[in-house]
Amino acid sequence: MTNLDTVGLHEFMQQRKTLFCYSGPLTEELLTTISNPVRHQLTENETPEAVANRVFGVFIEQAQNIIRYSSQKTSAAGDSVGTIAISYIDDTFLIEAVNQISSTQKSALEKTLLELSLKDQKDLRRLYRQRLKDGPPEDSKGAGLGFIEMARRVKRFEFDFNDSEDNPMFVYRGWVE
Amino acid sequence: MRFEKTQRTPLVEMSNSHCLIVGECYPENISEWSQPVLAALEDCVGDGTQGSFDVDIELYYFNSSSAKFLFDFFEFLDEKADEGISIVIKWRYRVEDDTMQEAGEDFEEDIENCTYHLVEAEPADA
Repeated sequence: MTNLDTVGLHEFMQQRKTLFCYSGPLTEELLTTISNPVRHQLTENETPEAVANRVFGVFIEQAQNIIRYSSQKTSAAGDSVGTIAISYIDDTFLIEAVNQISSTQKSALEKTLLELSLKDQKDLRRLYRQRLKDGPPEDSKGAGLGFIEMARRVKRFEFDFNDSEDNPMFVYRGWVE
Repeated sequence: MRFEKTQRTPLVEMSNSHCLIVGECYPENISEWSQPVLAALEDCVGDGTQGSFDVDIELYYFNSSSAKFLFDFFEFLDEKADEGISIVIKWRYRVEDDTMQEAGEDFEEDIENCTYHLVEAEPADA
C-alpha cells in the first residue's frame, strides 16, 4: 500500500489555516468556476467587504499570473500548472501562489519585485497610473500592472525562488488585513 | 446597445445620450470583451453627436487587465469632450470601499475635458 497520507494532508491544511487551495492545471474557465467558492469563503466570518475585495483582487492577479507565466504545462492541453491558496492566520489573510518559471523569467521577476518592495503606497499609485498611460512592457501578457496592483492591495508581500537550475519555482505571498 | 452582466463582466447599457456600467470586471479575455464595448461607445459618441452624454459607472471590483480598458474608455471620452461634446462622468463607489474610491480618483487625474464626479453610493446590503 502506498503512503498517500490523506489524513496528513487534511491535518496539514487545517494546521496552516488554509481556507482554500487549488493545485494543478489552471485555466481562465476554471478560475471562473473557483472564484465563486472563494468569494463565499471570504464573506463568511463577517470579513469587512473592503478586506474581502482586496483578498479577492490579490487572488485573481496571482491566479492569472500562474495562467500566463507558469512554465509547467500539461502535455495534453498545454494548460499552466501551479498552486494557489488562501489562509486566514491571526486575523490576517495570506494569499500565496507558486509555479515553475524559466531561468530567464527569474531575473526579470526578481528585479521588478525588488523595485516594488522598496516603494511606498504613494509611489506605487503613481507608478500604476504611469504604467496605464505607457502601456504594457514587451514581455507582459497582461497590462503589466498585476504586481503593482497586488503591492497596492497587500499590507506586505514577499517573494522567493528556489535554486533549482532546471526548474526554478517562483513563490509569491501577500498578506491582507 | 446592451451587454448582459456575467459572473466576470459588468452590465453595460449604451444609447446616444447615456452609458451605464455596473458590476465586476475581470473577463477571461479582456480584449474579446472590451473591443465590442469600445466599438459601441464609438458608435454612440460618434462625430455627429450633438448635445450631451452621461456616463454612470459603478464597479465593485476590476482586475489589472481591465484597468487598461477603463483607461482607454475614459481617454476616448475625454477626446470627444475636447471636440465639443458635453460629457458628464459619475464614478460611483460604495461607502468604505477605499479601493474603488482610489481607482476613481486615479482616473479623474487624467481627465481634462469631461465633467467628473466621484459619488459615494450606499452599500448593497444597507
